[in-house]
Amino acid sequence: MTTNQAHDKEGSIPFYPDHVKTEFKVVLVILGIAGLIGVTALFSPVGLGDPADPMNTPAHVKPEWYFMALYQLLKYIPKTAGVVLPIALLVGMILWPFIDRKPDRSPDILRKRFIVVAVGMLILIALTIWGEVS
Amino acid sequence: MLLGGLALVFTTYTAATASQQESAPPIANPASLDGIRTQLGYDTQMDMPPRLDQAVSLPPPNQDPCQHCHISGENKGLWTPLVRWVLFGLAGVLFGLGFYRTTSTWVTRTPWKPLTARAADWVDERYQVKEPLQKMLSKPVPNFALRWWYCLGGITAALFAVQAITGVMLAFYYKPTPEQAYASIQFIETQVLFGASIRAIHHWAANGMIIACTAHMLRVLIMGAYKPPRELNWVNGMILFVLVLVFGFTGYLLPWDQRAFWASTVGSEIAGGIPAIGDLVLVFLRVGWTVNDLTLSRFYALHVLVVPVLTIAMMGAHFLMVRRLGIAKAL
Repeated sequence: MTTNQAHDKEGSIPFYPDHVKTEFKVVLVILGIAGLIGVTALFSPVGLGDPADPMNTPAHVKPEWYFMALYQLLKYIPKTAGVVLPIALLVGMILWPFIDRKPDRSPDILRKRFIVVAVGMLILIALTIWGEVS
Repeated sequence: MLLGGLALVFTTYTAATASQQESAPPIANPASLDGIRTQLGYDTQMDMPPRLDQAVSLPPPNQDPCQHCHISGENKGLWTPLVRWVLFGLAGVLFGLGFYRTTSTWVTRTPWKPLTARAADWVDERYQVKEPLQKMLSKPVPNFALRWWYCLGGITAALFAVQAITGVMLAFYYKPTPEQAYASIQFIETQVLFGASIRAIHHWAANGMIIACTAHMLRVLIMGAYKPPRELNWVNGMILFVLVLVFGFTGYLLPWDQRAFWASTVGSEIAGGIPAIGDLVLVFLRVGWTVNDLTLSRFYALHVLVVPVLTIAMMGAHFLMVRRLGIAKAL
């Protein structure tokens, strides 16, 4: 691909020091947020639940929020399907560049992909919220 | 007069309740300080290591007092000798350098070359890194890549650095056994200086890393940056995404509280639903048919050794490929 030629046409900034400076500011913001979290934790720490007890199953077991969508899905579909589906999705996504190989021809395709991604994410977010409140 | 009397009554009252509380028999309560210390295997009175933020008035009786820092009853903090070393050492180095600079310009009759330039030349003579480094640093960044959504990957990498640092700090105090894991986290939260802060940063940066990683992936997907010749970098990135999820899954068990234990039980149960090899996966994850002490060891080893090493390797390849192929331009 002629990526580098395309870059030259549109103009560029030097990686160092211009771009590094911007990136450094982003890192500073992240560190600032981390510091705020650290100060907050002095007053309200993350905390712990009751110690683990293998003999005593709590009434509501919930995973972390990023596994919540899958967990909620598994309540309504068979277990095998609920495991195969995300793995198939993952494998499909890994292999996607080898399926969709043609270079983009118009900005339209970006909008289409955005809609597909947005719908997928909305389903995931809806499942997550549903799982959190139920 | 009345106020004074009230104050007197109040102080005597509080003193009385305080002495009452002190005289209460010690109970092995895991939530209390002594309880945690007992669970950690420290003798409540004797074996507790001194906290670094407290002044240590006297060395322990069974230990020779350090003649340099504890001269006959002198009361100093643990940090004082280090502060002295650094202060006087810096002064000495400054003096030495100044002396060297003055005499060398005198003797050689040549202008002084800054020390940083000397050091750079010395290293470059041996490693010859100046030219490739300059090439790398001077590579232009295209203007279209200066929008905020191009920095999501960089944010993920920065958060990984935060996780690595805070993770090492937590690992100094964490004990990966069922008997001690919970108590050691309580110890981190209540006793370790800024332990609660470090744990909170590790906790929230983990959540942030998942969000940033997902956002970066969706950005690449929408803009079609996975198209040839960047397919392998997409595959690399997907593996990194899975590694981040494994980080989250294995790290969640480590506090060994009810939520952690049962979430891991349910999680490995779900993994056990894979057709044909489900049972094998389940036994591999749990090291047996139930979540037990070896599960904790395994998750800990995965969380602090296997997954970080894999992640760093994949991240290195990821960045190298980005630099080599340039940033993809969307239509």
